[in-house]
Amino acid sequence: MSEQSKKLPKGRSLWSDGIHRLAGHKLAMAGLVVIAAYFLLAAFIYISELCNWKISFLQWGDKIGREYEPPNAKNIIGTDFLGRSVLRKTIYGTKISITVAFLASILSIAIGVPLGAIAGYFRGAVDEIIVWLYTTLSSIPYILLILAFALVLKDKAINLHWAGLGTLELRGIASVYLAMGLTSWVGICRLIRGEVIKHKDREYVLAAKSYGCGDGRIITRHLIPNVFHIVIIDFSLRFVSFIQAEVILSFLGLGEKNSPSWGAMIDTARLDLPKGYWWEMTAATLAIFFISLALNVFGDALRDSLDPKLRIQ
Amino acid sequence: MNNNGTLLSLENVSTHFFTADGIVKAVQNISLKIKKGRTFALVGESGCGKSVTALSVMRLVPHPQGKIAGGKIVFEEQNLLELNEKQMRSVRGNKIAMIFQEPMTSLNPVYTVGNQIAEAIKLHQGKTNQQAKEDAVEMLQKVGIADSQRRINDYPHQMSGGMRQRVMIAMAISCQPKLLIADEPTTALDVTTQAQILDLLDELQQQEKMSILLITHDLGIVAERADDVAVMYASRIAETADSKTLFANPLHPYTQGLLKSLPRLGFTGKRLPTVAGIVPDPLHFPSGCKFHPRCPIGCNDERCQTIEPEIRYVAPGHGVACWYAQGYEKITDKQNG
Repeated sequence: MSEQSKKLPKGRSLWSDGIHRLAGHKLAMAGLVVIAAYFLLAAFIYISELCNWKISFLQWGDKIGREYEPPNAKNIIGTDFLGRSVLRKTIYGTKISITVAFLASILSIAIGVPLGAIAGYFRGAVDEIIVWLYTTLSSIPYILLILAFALVLKDKAINLHWAGLGTLELRGIASVYLAMGLTSWVGICRLIRGEVIKHKDREYVLAAKSYGCGDGRIITRHLIPNVFHIVIIDFSLRFVSFIQAEVILSFLGLGEKNSPSWGAMIDTARLDLPKGYWWEMTAATLAIFFISLALNVFGDALRDSLDPKLRIQ
Repeated sequence: MNNNGTLLSLENVSTHFFTADGIVKAVQNISLKIKKGRTFALVGESGCGKSVTALSVMRLVPHPQGKIAGGKIVFEEQNLLELNEKQMRSVRGNKIAMIFQEPMTSLNPVYTVGNQIAEAIKLHQGKTNQQAKEDAVEMLQKVGIADSQRRINDYPHQMSGGMRQRVMIAMAISCQPKLLIADEPTTALDVTTQAQILDLLDELQQQEKMSILLITHDLGIVAERADDVAVMYASRIAETADSKTLFANPLHPYTQGLLKSLPRLGFTGKRLPTVAGIVPDPLHFPSGCKFHPRCPIGCNDERCQTIEPEIRYVAPGHGVACWYAQGYEKITDKQNG
């Protein structure tokens, strides 16, 4: 290797370039830490349940004091109408919220990205069918659609024996994330379609065709990696709306019944609030507030650093 | 010319675009022959159909608005228009490869250059990742990129325009194609880089014994590099010959006008002559000979205004489409060049 070549800077892909810029953004990093904390907490709850660990702060069902005990030295955020710790319920609620938002996001990406890419790439009749499908879907008010899906899916079961997975009971939480995932792919589908239309006539796509790539290969290997930053940005911003949608569904009585979620907490606290029992409402709201804020800050920074057109420095 | 020497022949190929405003006949009844190991230049103004001709050969005309409306494209005794998409894919990149005008945008920004060269190799030769990577290093060396072992891990944005065009060439020749289509390969590059890239193409042509279809609007490049030339005007071929004949004895008034408008060494006049008028709108081509509104000879001639002349071969290999070309009217049946 020549002397000169040793001095050449190491190549950085657009991705690592974006991540490098993101790492310099302090507020975004703080947001990332908060998001990571929520995710780790949710993961920890799953693991402790799988391993049957008896960890006191996750025993949300225990009666630890009198009913409606206000925040005090022993129970920092007080107790609810059954004398259970509000702090433990709030912590446990993370599991439901993160699970629902995560699975709904994955589902909507799994539907929206391929449909958007296919519509944008092939255009013509395929495009018209897909556009018709999502415009129809998006013309129905979002919450109504989720409600309808959740009601239809409720208490049904999907037979997954053919895949060796047994039966997926669509009670509670499963119907929530399926309903949200199946109805919310429109946004990402539209974004990906637009971006693919923009990219598909670029010369690098023509060049890839000219050395023998087929349509499937062009879409999966050349187009999707070039538009994938949109998926990441959309994921980080949509995650918040899924957490909020879960709250609304639980509030309307369609969510998880057997364990606490932030939405269910707000639902019960609603009746207690006029009596002056403010702490349960406050705890659940703050839990939602912090992850929403963190995701929004992080999502904005992510867009700024991954979208090449928004590079300022 | 015997058939054995011909690698690619286009016979009456027409390509149309179906737009909201009407049918754009971008290529009309074009016939040409590219011989093995030779460079064929297709010259013409912007929008005259040069690039569409090249894309038609690759069958990469933008779909669904563009369509090859008729004719035959015979490559190695096989009509490419009869192949299905899968068979065509094994021709693209493998037997016919292409390089483009804009080296800055014709590489995928998310992959390293080595990765992209290796993709072409893996697609056609079924090599393993390791072998393909080794080939990619070798290809980069071949196109004159120093320190190729390291350079294959670079991303396109780390390279200059000239280097990217070299990478494109490396991709194109990685499967030893028989024909390389170069669509204005040097238009976007500065003059010194232009010469280097053209020298590289010459050198590779010698090594690989491939034919080159060179698309350009630069007559200087044609004079220097091409063996055969076709001059296109408004979707048709106006004149075709080997380059020596064409430059020495241009017969079509358009070709004559183009050559007159070239600056020459020792030229001391005030202004260069130009071809008067503008390129016609492809949606509203003039009737008769499409060049007649700009033609110094035929602008007032009734025959030129009403009947479009076909290509006729006035000498072996020298075809022209002009009623006033010397010897044109004597030839009644179209001879095969």
